Amino acid sequence: MPVEAIASVAGTSTMEITLSKQELLRELTATQGVVERKTTIPILSNYLFEAAGDKLSLTATDLDLSLRTSCTAKVKKEGSCTIPARKLHDYVKLLPDADITIKLLENHWVSIRCGRSNTKMVGMAKSNFPSLPVFPTTGVVKIPTQILLSMIAKTGFAIASEESRYTLNGALMVLKPESITMVATDGHRLAHIERSGEKFEGVSGEMKTLVPKKAMDELKSLLDSTDADTIEFAKDDSTLFFRIGGRLLTSRQLTGQFPNYEAVLPKDVSKSIALQGTELMAAISRVAQFADERSRAVRIKLEKGELKLSASSTETGESEDSLEVDYNGDPLAIGFNAQYLLDFLKATGGTDVKLELKDAQSAGQLRPAEGEDYKYRYIVMPMRI
Amino acid sequence: MGFSDFHGNTEVVHSLRDMLARNRFPQAVILSGPEGAGKYTLALMLAKAMNCLEPKVTNGLPDFCGHCANCTRIAQSEDLSARFAEAVEARENLRETDKKETRIFVQTHPDVLVIPPDPPQLMIKMDQVRRVIGTIYYRPGEGKERVYIFTDSAFMKEAANSLLKVLEEPPEFATIFLLTTNPGELLPTLRSRSMIVTLSALPVEEVEQYLAKNRPDWNAKQRALVARLSEGAIGRARNFDLAAYVAARSQALVLLNAARRSDHSELFKLTETFRAGADGREKIENLLRATYSVLQDLMFLNSGTPQFIRNTDIQADLHKLAESTGFDWIAQAADRLAEVERGMRRNLLRSLSLDAFATALEPTA
Repeated sequence: MPVEAIASVAGTSTMEITLSKQELLRELTATQGVVERKTTIPILSNYLFEAAGDKLSLTATDLDLSLRTSCTAKVKKEGSCTIPARKLHDYVKLLPDADITIKLLENHWVSIRCGRSNTKMVGMAKSNFPSLPVFPTTGVVKIPTQILLSMIAKTGFAIASEESRYTLNGALMVLKPESITMVATDGHRLAHIERSGEKFEGVSGEMKTLVPKKAMDELKSLLDSTDADTIEFAKDDSTLFFRIGGRLLTSRQLTGQFPNYEAVLPKDVSKSIALQGTELMAAISRVAQFADERSRAVRIKLEKGELKLSASSTETGESEDSLEVDYNGDPLAIGFNAQYLLDFLKATGGTDVKLELKDAQSAGQLRPAEGEDYKYRYIVMPMRI
Repeated sequence: MGFSDFHGNTEVVHSLRDMLARNRFPQAVILSGPEGAGKYTLALMLAKAMNCLEPKVTNGLPDFCGHCANCTRIAQSEDLSARFAEAVEARENLRETDKKETRIFVQTHPDVLVIPPDPPQLMIKMDQVRRVIGTIYYRPGEGKERVYIFTDSAFMKEAANSLLKVLEEPPEFATIFLLTTNPGELLPTLRSRSMIVTLSALPVEEVEQYLAKNRPDWNAKQRALVARLSEGAIGRARNFDLAAYVAARSQALVLLNAARRSDHSELFKLTETFRAGADGREKIENLLRATYSVLQDLMFLNSGTPQFIRNTDIQADLHKLAESTGFDWIAQAADRLAEVERGMRRNLLRSLSLDAFATALEPTA
């Protein structure tokens, strides 16, 4: 590595900054989710610190995802360095509330001073740090924070965690000039949420984006902790960008075609049953205790004026619950995975729901009874019981 | 800098570059060849050529510059043993709970992942393949092609099986290299999904010329000997540890002589030193290899082609041994040796296996 050696001898790499511990710790904590713990690859366990103007930008990456954030700092000497991420976070947590001075020394050593504490850590050559994608200047779409947050909360749980089905390892976000839709599925259930009546400038036609699960999770925690009303979203050929306040989350794009989910959405549901969310959730939770541990199957039996939930397994026994419902059609028995139903009921937070069925072989659909501002539907494949 | 730095196997390299040029590079390539033939070097060169920011053309075929940000970062993986050692050390420093779940990877460029066998078992493990599966479908960030290099074909069973799915339908921007000394070791289903490229041995003269240029610190006699002993593998020739080889070979001679003369005290004294543990494994591998090369030379002498023998420095010993052995004995010894080798894979006791080898070859009274 003669090139780097020359660079450090020539003295081009300097950096000296002073900043408040609170602020640094806040940003370090916000980026911890991206820093990988169980890795032996040096670039993944280091922060990139860049000081310029009156702020320090810090970047963490796991190569697929990167998070860049900044905090105000008194910059004595502009420059950049890398610092082991975990150790720094653990150490800064223990420092007293005072100003911290960070200074780059020779051979990638970094000194951290705070009050009477003095520490040195060794980073690595900055050139090894992956170059960061640049936020595009065109095609930036503003999305209201609360809308995005609620859409992620209502679809994220349905993303497949199975590695082999890689096109399902993310949620599909569809932006149109007047609406935003998010869809997630793992092949057994599908969550679909749409919000119309918004205005998305810069979107023409349909903009489809597959957002990887990892990015969704990170995005959720970033959205949770921001007070900005809107976030900025953009993408280029290989990368997705989300700017949340002063933080920029980038994710490499996943390849692959999201399945044609529209074909799955049931069109002719003949039976619709209104149910009280909390009651249904409690009943399913109880009955599911006695469901087969692997399949988690519960049986739903519809009769006049009554919905019966039951489950049985050879090991634990059997259980039945019944709910009073307004139903006059033909009797029907259908099986579902209890966990899938509970996931949806948790996401809707106990509001009243509608269960829509066609027959025992067709997918069931759940949706909130009150069609608030969102069009939210959840499709679950039935199980043989 | 460039493919011109790769020694030997010009035709193989040529055809691989030709595939690159025509954008027909296979998504999964098994690079096979003896140890030191340059499999890893070639795989990294191809990774550079795929991702070079200032690609060059030499001899009408794609080449790499060697000094752009992508080339230099990929080049940092070249010293595999050093990077590997760093990764193992980094794992040692992790928390006890994290240690168990951390696997060894070498990644000096975001789009090029090198997967070495994970210690202590030195096998490619499930978690390593899982990482490949988890990352391969992301589009390349800084390069054009995501490259995955498995440096060894010793896969755990489940690991090999889960790799199948990716090999079946890798994204169009990814290339997987499987390096192996013996393609037969890979699952047939892995082989059928990949293109097998074989790096063959170089002629002795070529290796000697290379050594003359790169190892001027050795004398001509040493170079000639090493060129013969390295079995046509440049990498092995360059780093040949002659002292270690000579030691292993003298042990091999003790072993074979003991078998000829039923001299058990010498034999036991020797085999006693082959203990369990990682260094014992390396020691016995060296011994087996040296024994094979001695047996081969005996065969050459036996068949009247002494010009082919490799261990030119101990001709007298070889002649003596050759006189007292016949074709059948040598063939039997080679068979038995293969048995010892197989036994090693099943973790048989080293000393006992060697004892059994020698006593089985003793002349029946």
